[in-house]
Amino acid sequence: MTEDVLVSARGLEVHFPIRSGGALRRTSGVLRAVDGVDLDILRGETLGLVGESGCGKSTLGNALLRLVPPTGGTVTFDGTDVTSLDRRGLKEMRRRAGMVFQDPFASLDPRRTVAQTVSEPLEVHGLRSGGRERAARVAELLELVGLDPAVAGRYPHEFSGGQRQRVGIARALAGEPDFLVCDEAIASLDVSVQAQVLNLLRRLQRQLGLTLLFISHDLSAVRHIADRIAVMYLGRVVEVGPADAVGSDPQMPYTQALLSAVPVPHPELERSRKRIVLRGDVPSPAAVPSGCRFRTRCPYAFEPCPDVDPALQPVGAPGQLAACHLHGVVGRPVDSGEPVAARD
Amino acid sequence: MTGAPLPEPAPSPTATDAGVPSTQRAARPRWRETLGLLARNPTAAAAGLVLLAIVLIAVFDETLAPSGPNEISVEDRLQAPSLAHPFGTDDLGRDILSRVVLGAGVSLRVGFLAVAFALVVGSLIGLLAGFYGRWVDDVLMRFMDVLFAFPAVLLAIAVLAVRGPGAGNTALAIGVVYVPVFARVTRASVLGVREEVYVRASRSVGASDFRLLTRHVLPNAAPPIIVQTSISLAFAVLAEAALSFLGLGTQPPNPSWGLMLAEGRGFIDIAWWLAFFPGIAIFLTVLCFNLLGDGLRDVLDPRQRTLMAGGGR
Repeated sequence: MTEDVLVSARGLEVHFPIRSGGALRRTSGVLRAVDGVDLDILRGETLGLVGESGCGKSTLGNALLRLVPPTGGTVTFDGTDVTSLDRRGLKEMRRRAGMVFQDPFASLDPRRTVAQTVSEPLEVHGLRSGGRERAARVAELLELVGLDPAVAGRYPHEFSGGQRQRVGIARALAGEPDFLVCDEAIASLDVSVQAQVLNLLRRLQRQLGLTLLFISHDLSAVRHIADRIAVMYLGRVVEVGPADAVGSDPQMPYTQALLSAVPVPHPELERSRKRIVLRGDVPSPAAVPSGCRFRTRCPYAFEPCPDVDPALQPVGAPGQLAACHLHGVVGRPVDSGEPVAARD
Repeated sequence: MTGAPLPEPAPSPTATDAGVPSTQRAARPRWRETLGLLARNPTAAAAGLVLLAIVLIAVFDETLAPSGPNEISVEDRLQAPSLAHPFGTDDLGRDILSRVVLGAGVSLRVGFLAVAFALVVGSLIGLLAGFYGRWVDDVLMRFMDVLFAFPAVLLAIAVLAVRGPGAGNTALAIGVVYVPVFARVTRASVLGVREEVYVRASRSVGASDFRLLTRHVLPNAAPPIIVQTSISLAFAVLAEAALSFLGLGTQPPNPSWGLMLAEGRGFIDIAWWLAFFPGIAIFLTVLCFNLLGDGLRDVLDPRQRTLMAGGGR
């Protein structure tokens, strides 16, 4: 790709050891929350990251900012390797990359005022010296997210969910970041408020030229805001491409099933909507199937699926990639020595 | 976090979630809110007032005492309570009231010093153990377990045997005994707070560990520690009395409630007031610290706070 990549993950892995209790803490297994993700986020774009709950979307978002330490692979942010940054480099990276969290009731310290919360990045990074300048910047930020600057002295418990989320967004923007990870940022809001916050994010993205990673399980919201969409399944990005292409012509069976589950806001069309209902449940990330991880539920699974781990390959529209053997068997053969989940 | 949903403004077609919450006044500082709620709990409020009185007596002991605590008057010895000596006199003719008043200073000073030591050292250990976990937690908390394994009085006696008796050493001895208590309470509270999203949020904007600990973790982990402080003060006063009673704490002729209790024990059948009044002083102080601790526990619990403030907060 010739486009300008801001954030890039290569073979990114976040594995959590599963520890059995006791003082010796033996490791009895590995939970593969993120398991070999390749993903590029282009400067100035909004990338929607979708997938079922538990598929590793949030862990991926956290790992990109090193809020969760990756156990393998690399993350580069604007050309620098995030995984090997020293303390100072990491601090600067965190100024340039912000995060908006899912639960606005949990993400604001209940003992600190809105002004204290929003000005924390300013204090941490020594931006705007002096109380007056910081107060002015806080007022500016509150106005930017659509809050009255007069609320600066109030505590979080005095606000509604949507207002709190705006405070969280103001905090994330305080360091003038280039990159914003929105981790299910609208999921715990009322539907009417969701739209407002979604539009706020879109406005801010354009106004400030932000690069946005919008993590959500809400496909409609993602299609509304995203330029490109990445689909995750069991710790891996299985399809990525322009929002229109992925949304209307998905190339990976999992994406097809996921999209078929979205209700259509039109009674007649909704009645004729064909749902692809997958059999079974998502396998545990502690016991990932060999080869293609979707094969245990895929209606089209065939011979190479258990034996070859599919790589992303260009299919469909320009810029669209999917990891599926239906488009040609591409990927890494499973070596026999590796532990493979018990199945069949 | 509070479990109850916040009151949303009445929905209207043009309602927006932005703007000012109109029904609520500007926030008062937390500690004033806490004091206000505490005042509504009559038991805790009364305990607080009595403690305030005791502390004031302890601070102004020299001025308040009717006579010197060590003024010996042979002709006045073992006098029953009277107008001249409201609490009576002891076997050396010393005024019990004066000695109880000055004993307040000794007992509380030792108690406060001991708890301050335990609070600072124990909370720091608990904070680090809880926040960093892993081997830091293992090393620090196993060390605390070793301290815990000794019976409290035995441990205090050991410290005093090594360092010799005296007010400062008594405070240190009692303080050492309570370090693991504060370490455990703090660690447990920190373990809950460190997983809060707002701690991760603060980390995500680049805050250092020191900042996370001092600005976010400690303030939010504080309520159980405050309660523990109040209750430990009661135990520290009691421990000082016990050690003085055993002859290891405050040394004669200095007045200390525990020491007076020990001295009065030999006269209990002919002059009950020698042991009675210092005993009452200990009882009252310990009771009030415990009641205040219970009151604080109720007020500082966020769910209790919501109920007591009339819901919706």
